[in-house]
Amino acid sequence: MGLSEMEESCLQLDEKLLRFMDQLELLEEKRAALNSLIEQGWFSISKARYSMGNKQVSTLQYASEIEPLVCVSARTLDNGEVKFCTEKVTQTSGNESGTNVSPVEDIGPQETSVRRRNKPKKDSTEKGGNGKEVSEKLAEGPLPRKSDQNPQQDPLKWFGILVPQSLKQAQSSFKQVIELSAEIASLQTAVLNTRQELKHSMKEKQLLQETAPPCLSDTVVH
Amino acid sequence: MAGRGKLIAVIGDEDTCTGFLLGGIGELNKNRKPNFLVVEKDTSITEIEETFKSFLARNDIGIILINQFIAEMIRHAIDAHMQSIPAVLEIPSKEHPYDASKDSILRRAKGMFSAEDFR
Repeated sequence: MGLSEMEESCLQLDEKLLRFMDQLELLEEKRAALNSLIEQGWFSISKARYSMGNKQVSTLQYASEIEPLVCVSARTLDNGEVKFCTEKVTQTSGNESGTNVSPVEDIGPQETSVRRRNKPKKDSTEKGGNGKEVSEKLAEGPLPRKSDQNPQQDPLKWFGILVPQSLKQAQSSFKQVIELSAEIASLQTAVLNTRQELKHSMKEKQLLQETAPPCLSDTVVH
Repeated sequence: MAGRGKLIAVIGDEDTCTGFLLGGIGELNKNRKPNFLVVEKDTSITEIEETFKSFLARNDIGIILINQFIAEMIRHAIDAHMQSIPAVLEIPSKEHPYDASKDSILRRAKGMFSAEDFR
């Protein structure tokens, strides 16, 4: 009876150890992918800085109001593991959170529709009224700003309207890194959880060895 | 906060922080407290440690990303953190490649096979 219990405990231990090794292997793979993606991102940032200027793409250009565009949802599973999943922050939740906050400054084009250019003047007498037209335009009040409709600003715009392609590549690299880091965080908790389980199983096995008759324990150990 | 998930915080050098903020993880909350810390040459270890601890205390942060060379400066604080939320992830930096032997989590996992565990 004691032998079968011991065998069962050994099998469980083996299974957990194999799971632990698999998780470590997967963690290493994902780590390697994350490291190469980060490297790619830095390289793209450096390329963007090279084309935009030495002082560009720096902390000084961060916006004064920053809203997250990506969040992680943390779900605790039955076995104690925590599963992290990235999710995009929806427009509605951004509006809810930013009701009392002033809108983020948008340095992009102000008009959403196509601008209509002024028609050429028919006679010279109308040219004199240019100043009047400007004052009329100002009296109309502010045009609906793009930022009013879109409070969540793309961080790319902090660094300029026409940013180089390399900065966009950097953004996409780091977006992938963010997703990967959520996966790695989940794996890390899984690894630690399996480690705890292994420790627990080992203690159980030791207890079984101690309680089992000496002749039986000898057969199991060797 | 109820409808939104948790945030990802970053403690890193300028390019690391810039990259992750480009990815869209940055936040300045109502108290104008950011979820990131740009570590420069003159940033003190105390400041880094305090920021790290403040991130641990915030319940709206799910993952903390930290450059490994900065993690080395506050290793005791990282080792002392045992909870799974927020998860602490060590990432490489431009000057310092990632070294798995220094990673807190992997060292803990490696500890599984030390003599103490078999006692």
